Amino acid sequence: MNESSLLQRFSERINALKKLPKIQENKSIPELLEEKGFSRRDFMKWASAMTAVLSLPATFAPTVAEAAEVADRLPIIWLHMAECTGCSESLLRTTYPTIDSLIFDYISLEYHETIMAAVGWQAEHNLEHAIEKYKGRYILMVEGGIPTGEHGGYLTIGPHGQTGLKTAQKASEDAAAIFAIGTCSAFGGIQAAAPNPTGSVPLSEVTHKPVINVPGCPPSEKNIVGTLLHYILYGTLPALDAYNRPKWAYGLRIHDLCERRGRFDAGEFVEAFGDSYAMDGYCLYKVGCKGPYTFNNCSRERFNDHTSWPIQAGHGCIGCSEPDFWDTMGPYEEPLADRLYETVFGGLGADATADKIGMGVLTAVGIGIAAHAAISSIKNPKE
Amino acid sequence: MANHETKTLMEREKEFSASYRWQHWIRAFSIVALTFTGFYIADPFITAEPNAEPTNFLQAYMRGWHEIIGWILVAVFFFKAYLFLFTRNHRGELESLKDLTNIQVWKQQIGYYLLIEKHPKLKGIYNPIQFAAYAGFYLMLIGIIVTGLILYVHTTHVGLGAMLYEPMRALEVMMGGLANVREIHHILMWGIIIFVVGHIYMAVYNAVFGKDGAMDAVFSGMKWKHEDH
Ligand code: HEM
Ligand code: SF4
Ligand code: SF4
Repeated sequence: MNESSLLQRFSERINALKKLPKIQENKSIPELLEEKGFSRRDFMKWASAMTAVLSLPATFAPTVAEAAEVADRLPIIWLHMAECTGCSESLLRTTYPTIDSLIFDYISLEYHETIMAAVGWQAEHNLEHAIEKYKGRYILMVEGGIPTGEHGGYLTIGPHGQTGLKTAQKASEDAAAIFAIGTCSAFGGIQAAAPNPTGSVPLSEVTHKPVINVPGCPPSEKNIVGTLLHYILYGTLPALDAYNRPKWAYGLRIHDLCERRGRFDAGEFVEAFGDSYAMDGYCLYKVGCKGPYTFNNCSRERFNDHTSWPIQAGHGCIGCSEPDFWDTMGPYEEPLADRLYETVFGGLGADATADKIGMGVLTAVGIGIAAHAAISSIKNPKE
Repeated sequence: MANHETKTLMEREKEFSASYRWQHWIRAFSIVALTFTGFYIADPFITAEPNAEPTNFLQAYMRGWHEIIGWILVAVFFFKAYLFLFTRNHRGELESLKDLTNIQVWKQQIGYYLLIEKHPKLKGIYNPIQFAAYAGFYLMLIGIIVTGLILYVHTTHVGLGAMLYEPMRALEVMMGGLANVREIHHILMWGIIIFVVGHIYMAVYNAVFGKDGAMDAVFSGMKWKHEDH
């Protein structure tokens, strides 16, 4: 699609949304931002940054700004499942209120357990009401894995003690779009790590509707808001990678755009935290960086309004946006080759890595060969 | 069993063709080089020469050679598969399948290595233990090539890397993510190292005790044939 027809398509979409009533009949988003002390200029700067995040040409910035302004036309339901609320926190509890957090705070009010005022029966009623009223129109964002063990009994919410499983399934049924926010919701996350006692599964496994995964522990505010803006602009689900993650955010590995990549290729590695190489900003591979196996845009977008990110701060990536990262990425401060295997032998092999097991087997083979050769040279094989 | 006069007579017979021998040695050297560069990639144990200019590329060279030699290994693998399946003068390998399904030959072969039985008479050129070990080796080779290619498409996004990208990503999902792919690649390397050690021992063993020159054959192509076989 060429630029002008894409722009045309976006404008039509925004105009259609503009005609819809606002969910809350109070301030508009531009008014809200102004009240919080953001100038129009700040807002346009933010919109330009978002345009770049979404890999759109710079000339699209005004359109992206418009899309953000109509974000309050979309009802959003945000559910909390088995999680730590870190994803919501990452978005809302920034050092100072950012445009991302303000917009989000403003639009998500339909139902969001962390920030809504209602409790108990009232909260339950609000959720049912929202699902009913905005049937087929609302955007569902789910944070957290879905425990399925004991028929979902490991997670019950609200006065009726309804299981999270049932709530998630019901809310998914009539949603216009479903975003699984965070690694727990996208892949099961930490509570799904072996041995996964609660039987936690990704949202996509309990609903037959398409789910867009926005993993990360937590995902950056840009990826959450970007997914929403993308939906407002295109009206369809974004291009996805093999794990249903939007390609604009998860198309490349951390390693591909890492600021320390030059050091990696040069073979210059930090050997231990705090050594002189660490001070020189060498690559963190040998102290456990999992950037080469992790798809995300942290190296490009960073966190907290582009302030910093783990590798800049001196610790390797732990692979938080990959499936089963808790099981597959450890140990976090050593290279993958040092992964530990849960071996039996009464714990004898508890610190076995592939290399140690390999050397062990090789030694056994060596001894076997030596013995066989020795015996054969005494007692020759039969002709 | 033939009579005593002919017992010592031996005849030179062509065991391995030139193409067979070439692929064998190219593959052997690639495996050695891939293991070395592979260990480096897994845990870079050589510290790059300090250099004030940004002209160090140690990891990049290691990775580059690993990938180049990796592709050579892929090419040789296809060539070998062609020789095995479609060429007439490598029928001896396929013939070994007949021994593979013969329990008696298995028993006798195991007995031979336990030094309690005579070497069985074989229809093909590989004994059943050997054939099973080779089959295992080829499975590991396929595994390491596939996982290697999955890793490869993320290092090069153009050309072959681009062509293979989608199918390799589907396989990556089946293996549970790129970290697992790396780990499987690494474990298969150990499997291959252990095979190679056993393989070299058995080759030497048969050269010493078999006295038919199968070891020479992979260098020169020729093998000594006992008249009575
Ligand atoms: C006998 C054959 C091979 C051996 C022993 C071998 C060994 C290894 C090892 C040990 C690693 C490091 C894994 C880790 O981090 O633990 C590795 C990485 C890798 N191998 Fe191989 N490999 C072989 C064949 C291949 C082939 C056929 C390819 C395909 C072109 C390939 C491509 C790669 C790539 C792309 C990487 C990752 C490099 C990176 O991410 O920087 N390998 N290999
Ligand atoms: S710090 Fe991590 S992501 Fe960055 S170049 Fe090194 S290994 Fe890659
Ligand atoms: S750098 Fe790695 S571990 Fe950190 S947030 Fe990004 S993907 Fe997750």
